[in-house]
Amino acid sequence: MRLARMGQMMPTRLSFLRVLVRRLCTERAKVRRIHWVMSAEGHGQAAYAVDLGGHTYSLVAISNDLPADQRSDRVIATAWDAAFVLFDGVASPDDIARIAGQAPKQEAGRFSPRDLVLSRANKSVRMWDAIVAALRAGAQPDLRMVCDIGYLMRTTAVYGNGKFGIADRSLIADRPGLEGPFAAEMLTVYLIRHFTLDLVQHVGGGTLDPDLARHIGIGNATGLGMAPFLVNHPVLLHNWMQARETALARVLARETMTEAQGARLRTLARRAQHHLADWIVPAEDHNDILRQLESDWASFLPHFDTVPANRPFAALWHAAADESETLQELLASILIEICPEDVDDLAQDMGDRFGPLIVPFADTEALKMAIETKWGWALAHDYEDADQCRRFWYVSEAKLEPRLGDRFAEPGAELETPLDIARRVAQLYADLTNGAVPVSEFTKQHPDHAHAINRVALLHRYSYAEIRDNLIAATCRPIDMLRCKLSFFGATKFDPKSDLWTRITLAQGAPLGDELRPEMDDWWLPAMER
Amino acid sequence: MSWTEVQTLGVKAASGAGVPPAQALAFGAMLARHIADEGPQGAVAAALSKPESIVALAHRVETIVEAASVTAKPVDAREEDAGTRAMLVSWLSALPCKAELDIAGPKVRVSLSLSEPSARGRPERLHLDASLSEQLNALAAKTYVPDSDASRSGGAGAGLMELD
Repeated sequence: MRLARMGQMMPTRLSFLRVLVRRLCTERAKVRRIHWVMSAEGHGQAAYAVDLGGHTYSLVAISNDLPADQRSDRVIATAWDAAFVLFDGVASPDDIARIAGQAPKQEAGRFSPRDLVLSRANKSVRMWDAIVAALRAGAQPDLRMVCDIGYLMRTTAVYGNGKFGIADRSLIADRPGLEGPFAAEMLTVYLIRHFTLDLVQHVGGGTLDPDLARHIGIGNATGLGMAPFLVNHPVLLHNWMQARETALARVLARETMTEAQGARLRTLARRAQHHLADWIVPAEDHNDILRQLESDWASFLPHFDTVPANRPFAALWHAAADESETLQELLASILIEICPEDVDDLAQDMGDRFGPLIVPFADTEALKMAIETKWGWALAHDYEDADQCRRFWYVSEAKLEPRLGDRFAEPGAELETPLDIARRVAQLYADLTNGAVPVSEFTKQHPDHAHAINRVALLHRYSYAEIRDNLIAATCRPIDMLRCKLSFFGATKFDPKSDLWTRITLAQGAPLGDELRPEMDDWWLPAMER
Repeated sequence: MSWTEVQTLGVKAASGAGVPPAQALAFGAMLARHIADEGPQGAVAAALSKPESIVALAHRVETIVEAASVTAKPVDAREEDAGTRAMLVSWLSALPCKAELDIAGPKVRVSLSLSEPSARGRPERLHLDASLSEQLNALAAKTYVPDSDASRSGGAGAGLMELD
């Protein structure tokens, strides 16, 4: 599990937003507008309710008049176009008034256990203005622009699990529909998308064509804050990867392919080609990768027309053995899409209710053997080499956001966050002498090694718990960690702005709030019909 | 405060006090359970002012878990100091695995099922004493790196900001 591959991952039908929308479709949920006090310019309050798994949840939205010079994607921003809270139950006027007083403050506000998720979003001004202008002129917006931008607003933070006083995840983790990782956050994001569509039609005074509206998702700007999560939640990472790899293995093990599966495969392969053609980003290096993928995928398409009868899915996979990791990841995603009966049940095991259940090593010899067996990649580096330890992760005093520094050029390395797992395990290994003693005897002399020992024990039990790369090397690209995590969210149209942050689109192609029916769950890598 | 807020604050505070990462992580989990079970908050404050006591407590728990991994029998521990004993109990109760504790005076009899998850629930809210909260926040602040031009340019979302 290397960063280079993690940085090419694509959304699948196991992605959390996809799982949530599938559940909403199965339940034929309907999004209801329960509150709307909005000026002609689109500033005011709104609330929406939706039933899921026997519970009702409300999205409370506060839309503000934000001066252009305050619109920033940075987490250190202090004002946004809109602020949101996912509320547990049907929000009453008193609830809405309370949330309206707190949500615009975001991190500076205080929230209650009935507030499940806190978020905020900024407009894509170009898309917003163009759609409002089109609707006011009695027309529909330009299709090309909708494809290019893909959203009316992008969230710049979606906070869950107890932050700023909102409910801990443990309080809702048993609820049907919210069992999966980030399910409450995904419900929030889906409802925010619904709100943005409602709002733009209110301000524009017209109705969007549903086919076009469906292609408007919700954007997100994500930075370094997301990267340490994968390291700090090793069991979750394992469970996500395990589900994905199990899904792929099940599909590849199929002996035959039905006619319907073959037809669907060819349809989706061509849809992917259209999706890639629509996926154009300003950053030249990333766009080059996409154009190469577009070209490679076009060359690979004939394989879908000539699939052998015996072990057809495995044959396709083997046909891509010499292709780029980017193409292989796209292929993995489409193969997982084709066989829901092999895949969908795995979504229920992607959470982590309990934390790591690890058994201590019998002694230091067993510990040493575990390192030699599974940590060769960590022992291979010379951490005295400046480029192998150039980066250090830390938490900045300003808004407490995670950042990445150069230990030889910036202050603060003594406050390093312990994401240097590979180096720590190498140091542990170096201090382990020959001869078996109880591990607790060793840690009594070396308490600093306890963290590395825990990580070794974790990887011993959870095979996908560790990113097998040196996360403090000069070459480490946090964007790869972001891409991995965001693909599990269901993100598309990755639009990296640097190695540190990216914009993405969520819910593009997803059914609208009044279309949540089982047959509408067909929006893997959406492409707009022209 | 939420459980997560207390736990996270505990991890940061222990780190700020100089406790190594693994022990700081476990301390955070212990703190939330300790507050939920209405353990003596003064004991936590005292431990934070003597970080080596937190490392020692973590090590005691490690030896208990180690012993439990090789025997199905309960493991006995003894702690005369009531505050330390309460924290030891909270620490064991906060383990991800199922823990059954029998406490009689200074004696703590521990039965751990290492492969069975803990089923203990969590309350909606935890209440920290003002003085402990202040101490925790002051220690946590020691883990933050002050802002600089370099750090700002290396932060999330740094770089080109076109309006789209």
